[in-house]
Amino acid sequence: MNLAHLHLLLNHVPTVGLGVGFGLFLASLIGKSDDLKRASFVVFFVVALVAIPAYLTGDAARFTLQNRTGVSDELIAAHQNAAMLALIPMELTGFVAWIALWRFRRWTLAALLFLSIVTFGLMARAATVGGQIRHPEIVTEGRAAFAPLWPTPAAMGAALVIDHPWVWPICEILHFVGLCLLFGVVLLVNLRTLGFITGVASADMKRLLPWGMAGLGVNIVTGMLFFLAAPDQYTQNTAFFWKMAVMLIGALSLLSPTMVGESGTADPHARAPIAAKVIAAGSICLWIGVIFLGRFLPYIGAE
Amino acid sequence: MEDGLVVCGQTGPVLAQLEQTGLATWIRESGVLYGYPLILFLHTLGLGTLVGLNSAIDLRLLGVASGIPLASLEKTFWLMWSGFAVNAATGSLLFMSDATKHASNPAFYLKLACVALAVVTLMRIRSQVFRGRESGRLLAAASLGFWFVALSAGRLMAYIIEFLS
Repeated sequence: MNLAHLHLLLNHVPTVGLGVGFGLFLASLIGKSDDLKRASFVVFFVVALVAIPAYLTGDAARFTLQNRTGVSDELIAAHQNAAMLALIPMELTGFVAWIALWRFRRWTLAALLFLSIVTFGLMARAATVGGQIRHPEIVTEGRAAFAPLWPTPAAMGAALVIDHPWVWPICEILHFVGLCLLFGVVLLVNLRTLGFITGVASADMKRLLPWGMAGLGVNIVTGMLFFLAAPDQYTQNTAFFWKMAVMLIGALSLLSPTMVGESGTADPHARAPIAAKVIAAGSICLWIGVIFLGRFLPYIGAE
Repeated sequence: MEDGLVVCGQTGPVLAQLEQTGLATWIRESGVLYGYPLILFLHTLGLGTLVGLNSAIDLRLLGVASGIPLASLEKTFWLMWSGFAVNAATGSLLFMSDATKHASNPAFYLKLACVALAVVTLMRIRSQVFRGRESGRLLAAASLGFWFVALSAGRLMAYIIEFLS
């Protein structure tokens, strides 16, 4: 299996997963079920995470397909831009879903309803254009394979970094700011769960979590800008593949602190259950692993 | 001007000798994964631990998650000082591997100055704010500012030396 193959496996998850999440979400609103509602938030968050490698492996597929006859570069570029246009609201959906899991607010329902519908439309558009790359049978006869699509966020993002030499260093600074925010909060919340820090209610410690998520958000945006500017440097590097795999599991572990009740226990001396401790220790290790793979990326994995 | 020349005349050979030592040469040229890349990784891990925890404490002092009692955060200081120790050690190794280049980089001195200021600020946060003598908002804001400039200057060192040469 190569990364192009992985793209074929992952690229159905955003549309299908979003459909499943949306179905659960609607059912929870109609049936007034809080459990179902939380389940739909989890689905939205997980789909938002999987959408990231779905996008990244697309670039690996483009690399494999380049200069092949019968494959339209314009179509691939149109698919890529459509995918980026869908990825942006997809990540926002995931972020709002996580907020709703962390601390439920009524506005999150309206925001998720709006975002998930918009994302589904844009995702379906990206999927349709993507399908046309290798499936001419789905193109309606007598029509152009694709109409030029606008806007082109993937091309615009790449141009932003390539045309302005100061953007890359600024993104590097912000990537480290995001790292500090995320890692600091991950340490505090998980060390409380593990019992190294005591005398503070886990509910109070978890109020810090959105700052860690903001750090993750900054790093997804800046990381994506690096990737847009030099995709082959990353898709052709196995360390990057592993960094993304570990990062996604690490991000998944950020669901764990939202899972106990609404926002954890209010008792400053309460002990966390052993399962929560295992996940907390794992979460710290995973994020150290992400930093390790990120730093070693230029030294290992490159051909 | 003459003073400057004298200083250069004195420190130049010292720095050159420093980067000619076996250890410095090994870090710079061995190319093994447990050399330069490992040192760089540990430097980043120390940064994440020290600056990450310190920033979270700063946010708490600025009013985020105000339910967290400061006393419960006392235990994080040994972790932060460990991070600092790791970075002082790995930073010294990284410096000696390219001593003359780093010593001629203004961003390096800005970074060192801001790290020193941030560490003094953190000590003051512990001695004053954690003992209830000050509210700490100003110290927290200063701490975030010092770390941001230190981190930015550190990241920009490679670009600035390229720009200067």
